[in-house]
Amino acid sequence: MRSDTYLMMCAVVLVGCAGPNDGREKDHHITDSGRVAEVTVRNGSVQQMVGLSYEEQQGALLYNRYCAVCHGQEGRGDGFNSFSLDPRPRDLSDSIYMAALSDAQIEQTISGGGRSINKTQLMPAYGWTLSRREIQGLSSYVKTFATPSRTKKE
Amino acid sequence: MELDVALEGDLLMKGLRKSFAAVSVLFLLVMAVSPMKDSLREWRQVQSRYNRYIESLPQRVKPTEPGLQQVWVPKLERVDRCVTCHLGLKEPALRNAPEPYRTHPAIYHDIEDFGCTVCHEGQGAATEYRESVGKVKYWSSPMLPQAYMEASCGKCHKEAEVPQAPTLNLGRKLLRDSNCAGCHAIDGYDKQWVPGLDGIGSKVNRAWLVNWLRNPAGYFAKTKMPNFLLSDDEANTLADFLMSFKQFAGNSPLDSLPRRLTAATEAEKTRLAERGSTRFREARCISCHAINGKGGYVATELGKVASKVSPVWLYSYIRNPKHFQPGVLMPRYRFNDIDLQGIVAYMQSEFLDYDADFPAAHTIDPGFYEKGLAIFRKYNCSGCHGLKGVSDLGERAPALTYIGSKKLYEIDFGKSGIDPTLPSFLKTKILYPREFSKSMKMPQFGYSEKEAEAIAVALLGCTDEKIPDEFMVRRPPGEKFSPQGEFGALVQDLACFGCHVMGGRGRPVATDLSLEASQTQRGWLEAYFKVPYSLRPMLTERMPNFFMTGGEIKTIVDYMETAFIADSLDHRVSGDPGDVAIGRGLFFERYGCHACHQVGSRGGYVGPPLDNVGARLKAGWVFHWLKNPQALKPSTIEPNNNIPDGEAEAITAYLMSLK
Repeated sequence: MRSDTYLMMCAVVLVGCAGPNDGREKDHHITDSGRVAEVTVRNGSVQQMVGLSYEEQQGALLYNRYCAVCHGQEGRGDGFNSFSLDPRPRDLSDSIYMAALSDAQIEQTISGGGRSINKTQLMPAYGWTLSRREIQGLSSYVKTFATPSRTKKE
Repeated sequence: MELDVALEGDLLMKGLRKSFAAVSVLFLLVMAVSPMKDSLREWRQVQSRYNRYIESLPQRVKPTEPGLQQVWVPKLERVDRCVTCHLGLKEPALRNAPEPYRTHPAIYHDIEDFGCTVCHEGQGAATEYRESVGKVKYWSSPMLPQAYMEASCGKCHKEAEVPQAPTLNLGRKLLRDSNCAGCHAIDGYDKQWVPGLDGIGSKVNRAWLVNWLRNPAGYFAKTKMPNFLLSDDEANTLADFLMSFKQFAGNSPLDSLPRRLTAATEAEKTRLAERGSTRFREARCISCHAINGKGGYVATELGKVASKVSPVWLYSYIRNPKHFQPGVLMPRYRFNDIDLQGIVAYMQSEFLDYDADFPAAHTIDPGFYEKGLAIFRKYNCSGCHGLKGVSDLGERAPALTYIGSKKLYEIDFGKSGIDPTLPSFLKTKILYPREFSKSMKMPQFGYSEKEAEAIAVALLGCTDEKIPDEFMVRRPPGEKFSPQGEFGALVQDLACFGCHVMGGRGRPVATDLSLEASQTQRGWLEAYFKVPYSLRPMLTERMPNFFMTGGEIKTIVDYMETAFIADSLDHRVSGDPGDVAIGRGLFFERYGCHACHQVGSRGGYVGPPLDNVGARLKAGWVFHWLKNPQALKPSTIEPNNNIPDGEAEAITAYLMSLK
């Protein structure tokens, strides 16, 4: 697979409070060297996505629907359902752990579930629910959780 | 003599030869200009830079042949030369290359079959960057900015929910819910139901009405009614005009208030209000009516309703809503008299506007009816609100059926100073309707910028472009499911379609009931109507208690067992203890179902708890659900685990043993 040499800043996920959008134009500049990604969720549905590529946007919508309830809005493994699970869901913002994973491994985890990578069976297998394209989108989005200075090994 | 002529001719020839030589050289130079210009074209440099770039990549990428490339889509009558410079569109290795060489993001439409400009707009046949993007002043169809990209999906996709297009779906939903069709004709949008104004003079008090007309969002923040920016005079005259309409639709009279409410002592009133507050909570009015901002937004805010309407109206209305507002979605609760009085007493004591001023003294202008009628027509109030004798007299707004193809020269940008393009015009118009000219009448909706952009996206998809039928995706025209007989009358009376979908009709707030009797057992259903408990801890909404009689519940459940059932979902499962044990092992150890479902003391909170599932669900449903959840409820987040038949039967046997 190819290596990913982009530095990305942390995806800051804001859980919107009650009240209308103040309408301020946010100036988000996407450069080759760094990106600020932002996903605003209100009442359980994604309201706004900033600084994400097209694939990552599709992934963000799917993540919010299927994954956030256990893995949390910011991927920290602190979702609503996470406290009933033992072992806890993976903290996807752990850059050291995520750096060791290739795209294929992330996609395999989503597609085949925890059992397919010799981990807990509590992580469901989505390979028969989501299409390959959707899983690739999810994997792109999941990679934006990790903090900068992330370097990937093949 | 001959020598002279010959010399002269010779000179002439020499002169001619010289000028011929000079002209030839000039001609050659002129001829060279065109090939030189051609070899210095922008796209040639882009292509040669591409070939140099791909040499630096670790993967092997095929270099491009120099030359113009194009995609020709005869069915859509488009020629797109974007692929001359955008060379890496299909090359997965170039996912992170700099533009214009980057791979196209994953989409479901092949570039060969659709071309580029059908989605991106812009000038497809251009070969220079500036011309193709359309950054030429007053070019009528420049490339769509990224925020408006989904507008092109709307040109062909006319179905209710377009996959992968959330902005478009949001814009269409806002267009429908805001009832833009009340004033503007738009293809595919019908007028929504809006409360009629018959009898408004017997319902509200005048001071409230004036404040409402001046600023609807001041009373109810999420109201669908926009602000017409009326002057004080206009608001007062219009209020006088409306308050003169005292007869309700269908001439229904108001009930008179019972003595218990009017002549009670303070202590009795407090007891009554307490009883009312309990019933109010059981009826879950808050699912549809927000109270001080908390709750649902299907209907109006109730937090200050006692300062808005008379108690006699409240009493009569809750007893039978459709008598006073035909077509309203509110269910008719089967409250007994004392409960109804309690609820009215409760609302009278709690839902008051403590900040309301005393109404000022007011003299009615003698010409109020004509002046009020003129204002009513000017702002086309009857576009949304029915009012007997006055409807269909308003002035309609411009039709929006082909707004996406509006030419720039038809738009007056006034002194707004915005970017002279159609998307920015639409967005500004939606956010600040009277921005472009002082004489405009469109009211101000309270949209955020994102919402205005979404509506602009939905509108930009309404074009007059001729798209062949094989490209169009239309909503299939369905028969609207309309149950008849006793069941149908109950469904109308209780407004089940307000929260449930049945037979493809209704609002998907709660569960789809089309296969309800295949799913749940009869005994559980009957008990549920009596006490609608919370099935999923995660959800904040609950079904209201309508206080139905046993006979009504039986009618409903009988109908469901006959009509909302599918024989194909039957499946016999054994109660064999061996099977049950195998099923338990599969449930916990293999598939980890307790990650989301509670059983006994352990489990998660995502799906419903399964402690009592053997008494609630039917075995056939559980089996087919385990095999393929999405086939039964497409929006579920339960994953399809590809469970083999034998294992699914064992798990079903285990689950049916949990009673």
